[in-house]
Amino acid sequence: MQDRPTSVELLEAAADFVDSELVPAVQGARQFQARVVANVMRIVAREIKMEDPLVRSEVKALALLLGHEKPHLHGLDDLRKAAASLGEELTSKIRGGEADDGAWRSEVLTVVRQSVEDKLRIANPRYLDSDIAIREAVKE
Amino acid sequence: MERIEPGEMVRRLIGFIRAEGRFDSVAIENFRKMPGGASREIWSFDCAMQRGGGTTRRAMVLRRDPGAHNISTNRRHEFMVIRAAFEERIPVPEVFWVSEDPAVLGSAFFIMERIDGETLARRLLRDDTYARAREVMPIQLADILAKIHRIDPVKHKLDFLAEPGDNAALTEVKRYEENFRRLALEPHPAFELAFRWLLKRFPKTPRKTLVHGDYRIGNVIFGPEGVRSILDWELAHLGDPMEDVGWMCVRAWRFGNDQKPVGGLGTREDFFRAYEKASGIDVDPEAARFWEVFGNLRWGIITISQARTHIDGFVKSVELASIGRRTAETELELLNLIE
Repeated sequence: MQDRPTSVELLEAAADFVDSELVPAVQGARQFQARVVANVMRIVAREIKMEDPLVRSEVKALALLLGHEKPHLHGLDDLRKAAASLGEELTSKIRGGEADDGAWRSEVLTVVRQSVEDKLRIANPRYLDSDIAIREAVKE
Repeated sequence: MERIEPGEMVRRLIGFIRAEGRFDSVAIENFRKMPGGASREIWSFDCAMQRGGGTTRRAMVLRRDPGAHNISTNRRHEFMVIRAAFEERIPVPEVFWVSEDPAVLGSAFFIMERIDGETLARRLLRDDTYARAREVMPIQLADILAKIHRIDPVKHKLDFLAEPGDNAALTEVKRYEENFRRLALEPHPAFELAFRWLLKRFPKTPRKTLVHGDYRIGNVIFGPEGVRSILDWELAHLGDPMEDVGWMCVRAWRFGNDQKPVGGLGTREDFFRAYEKASGIDVDPEAARFWEVFGNLRWGIITISQARTHIDGFVKSVELASIGRRTAETELELLNLIE
C-alpha cells in the first residue's frame, strides 16, 4: 500500500507543471514536444482511473455479440487478455465476410463503435466529444 | 551508419558540391539541423559557389536518410520526381544534386533549394496572417494537383515508378493491408470492417497517372499569399489520380476544422469542381469517397507504423509513441464513413 498522493494525483501534478511552466519556457519543436509530454501524462492518468470499468464492459459486450457465456473475470490482466482474444475472434469473423450485411452487421457496428469510443475516452476525450457534437448537428 | 559530426559533414559537403558542380571553390555557412523530420533528417545551409570570376549564392536544404531506419523509399527516385515537377513549372524546390554513396555523408541524400515560409498547418488554419492564404489555397491546391497528374512519366524517364497493374486501388489496398497485418499488435475490428467495405467498392473506370502519394496541407510550404511549394514526393507512384483527391479529404488534416473537409480549408464540392476545371478529369463522388475511406484507413495504419518505429527502437520519441494512441481517432472516422 503506497502513501498519498495516488498515481493519478502525481501524474496530474507533473502534467500541470509541464503545461503551465515548461511549455511557455521553451520554443518551437521543444514546445510541441513538451505539449505532447503533458498530453501523454494525462492519457495515463485517465487510463488508471477508467481502464478497469471500460475493459470490463467491453468484454461483456464482445462475449454477448459472439454468443459466449458471460465470462467471470476479476483481475485487470485477465480482462485485457479476454478483450484481446474476443477481439481476434470478432476480426476473423469480419474478415470471413460475416459482418458484410444483415442484422448482425448492425450489432457488430454498435459494439465496435462502443469499443472505439472507450479508447477515445482515455486517449482523446475532446475528439470524441466534438465527433458526437458533429453527428448530433447533422441529425438535426 | 558512420557517425559524422556537423563540422565534418560541412567539409565533405564542400568537396561533394565542388566535384558535382565543377566549381573552383565552395563555401558553406549557417549549417544547422532543422527541427521536425522524425523520419528524415533536414539540414539547412547557405552555399557560395565560385567558378571563373563569378560567385553564385543559394539557400539550400539537405535531405538525408537517418542512420537506423525502416524506410523503403529511394532518395534518387524522389529527386527525379521533384525535378520532373520543377520542369513542368509545378511549385517545388529546385533540386541540385543526389548521392546514394554512403562514403559521402553516411547515407543517401539530396540537396535542394531552401524555400522560406511556414509549414505548420495549425498556423494556416488559425493565424490572422494567413486569412488570405486560407481563401486562395483550396483552388491553388486543386490547380497544382491537376498539373501533377499531367506529368508524363515517359517524358521524364520516371520508369522506376512501380506499375500498379489493372486495378491500382486493389494494389494499394493490398499493400496497406500487408503492412497492417505485419505491424498491428492488437485486433482492430474497425479497420477490418473498412477493408471489407473497400473490397466491394473499387472505382469502376480509373485513369492512370502520376500520383503524389502524400498530398495534404502538412506537405505544403505557404506564405500569407498562399502556396509556395509542394514537399515530400517520396511516395509518388503510378495510380488512380483520385487517390490524391481522397487523401486531401482525410479527417486528420482538418485539425478540428471539420466543417471544411478539405484540409480544414474548403468543401469537397468546391475542391472537386476546381480540380475538374483544371484537369479535365471528372471526379466521380463514389470514387472520391472510396479513396477518402482508404486515406483514413491508410493514416490509421501509419499511426500504428509510427508507434512501432518507437516501440521497436528505430527512433525513440515521445511524439511517435503518442501517435499510437491516435489510431482510435481514425477508427471512429472510418465507422462514420462506412456505416
